[in-house]
Amino acid sequence: MVERADYVTLEGVSKIYNPGPAQVEAVSQLGFSVRSGEFVSILGPSGCGKSTLLMMVAGLETATTGAIHIAGERVERPRLQTGIIFQDPTLLPWKSVLDNVMFPVHIQGLDEAQHRARAMSLLQMVGLTDFAEKRPHQLSGGMKQRVAICRALVTDPDLLLMDEPFSALDAITRDELNVALLDIWQRHHKTGLFVTHSIREAVFLSDRVIVMGRRPSRIVADVRIDFSRPRDVHVQESPEFTRLCTQLRDAIESQHG
Amino acid sequence: MANRATYTSGIALPLLVGGLALLCWEMAVRVFHVPVVILPPPSRVMLEFFGPRFAELLQHAVPSGLQIASGFVFATVSGILLAVLMAYSVLLRAALQPYMIALQVIPKIALAPLFILWFGIGFSSRFAFATFICFFPVVIATLTGLRDTPTEVLRMCQAIGASEAQVMWRVRLPFALPYVFAGLKIAATMAVIGVVIGEFISADRGLGYLILYCASRSETPGVLAAIAVLCAIGLSLYGVVAWTEQRLLAAQRGER
Ligand SMILES: Nc1ncnc2c1ncn2[C@@H]1O[C@H](COP(=O)(O)OP(=O)(O)OP(=O)(O)O)[C@@H](O)[C@H]1O
Ligand SMILES: [Mg+2]
Repeated sequence: MVERADYVTLEGVSKIYNPGPAQVEAVSQLGFSVRSGEFVSILGPSGCGKSTLLMMVAGLETATTGAIHIAGERVERPRLQTGIIFQDPTLLPWKSVLDNVMFPVHIQGLDEAQHRARAMSLLQMVGLTDFAEKRPHQLSGGMKQRVAICRALVTDPDLLLMDEPFSALDAITRDELNVALLDIWQRHHKTGLFVTHSIREAVFLSDRVIVMGRRPSRIVADVRIDFSRPRDVHVQESPEFTRLCTQLRDAIESQHG
Repeated sequence: MANRATYTSGIALPLLVGGLALLCWEMAVRVFHVPVVILPPPSRVMLEFFGPRFAELLQHAVPSGLQIASGFVFATVSGILLAVLMAYSVLLRAALQPYMIALQVIPKIALAPLFILWFGIGFSSRFAFATFICFFPVVIATLTGLRDTPTEVLRMCQAIGASEAQVMWRVRLPFALPYVFAGLKIAATMAVIGVVIGEFISADRGLGYLILYCASRSETPGVLAAIAVLCAIGLSLYGVVAWTEQRLLAAQRGER
């Protein structure tokens, strides 16, 4: 694997909600970096500050201390080259699937024809070509989340942030979407930060998995996942896959003891 | 099959109940010999629409209808505008919201005589009073709707760089639509009440005036006929609101 430059860097990042007597320190003195093109998953117990961390990288929350840089620029507000996928698909119910995917394009006043073609090819990639004119309420949960993936990618961002995007889905749909995401990833070579509670999902998708400890959070493990790309579902059957899962599970469980 | 079921339960059934009620009323009045002044039978009220009274009813329905419609429309437009401004500005919201709720709660009807003092006994006082009592349900419902957009959707908008105005017109307002219409339905009934109260207090025209006039001369069938016309006006307004809502929601669902 070629060594690439750090793309996202966090230095001494803390987040304190409600400063004062009832303050909550959601993230404390966190530092790590993600290289360009790297896919990094974050695992950790509930409430340890994973979403907070992601929102700070997105520029939707400001860090109380420390600094976050993306491509050398300090993050102070949302950045158009960052795509986000939330736990909830956040589709607009009155817009068609295609118009939902095109929403960022319309908001940002970008070239319609060019992005329309891109939107259609993204929809094709996730198998929703026939649903382009349907409304969200006519779609299953998994389909909605696919639309959200397309929307996050339509403006061709260089960084993709995902906060448990598949946690509301059943296991089978989730596996399907993991494969779809992996597929897109392998074609578009973006940098990714992915929050999840699923160890298998993290190992399957990532180049690196970071395990965060209880609040106030610190990094308790940082594990490289060296399966070659392109990957397919069968890596999950290899002994190495099982070994990595066990290692990560141990790291998480060491928290509870 | 399904259509037939909705037809039976949605239209035929209420009509049947209404018809039966009228029949009972008619029979009761006849069997117990209730004097017409106390309660005329429905058939007697119906006669009002075929005699000389008909022209009179129409003549009084026009000013009432105009005042109801104009008060409702003005309250709708200004109410939605104020709600949008309040949704934008934290300051405005903090300053006005308690008063909006207080004014919602006080018996606004008690203020009707003041409007006559301020605006005179003509069209403008009843228009102003109808607007006044329609206004608050519209503002409160719209504001509730505008503030009900899911937080994650708002975050998504922020993340893709949407401006406040874009979020308002393209996201918050469409999300608020069902709330807005709930407010408009209340406002539609309030507009009728407002105008009738105004006409009760002082007017030389209108259905409220006609009701008082007929009552003072013990012409009970005339009173009931005027009330029936008022009901028709109120129901029409409500119907227009409900129909518009259906159309907009269907368009939102993609069933143009
Ligand atoms: N807006 C907020 N105001 C105050 N406290 C908050 C806010 N958002 C999060 N917190 C607190 O910060 C801590 C971290 O929350 P966060 O949502 O980042 O955790 P998480 O790791 O994403 O949890 P989960 O895995 O359950 O999603 C929690 O204790 C939470 O109560
Ligand atoms: Mg979270």
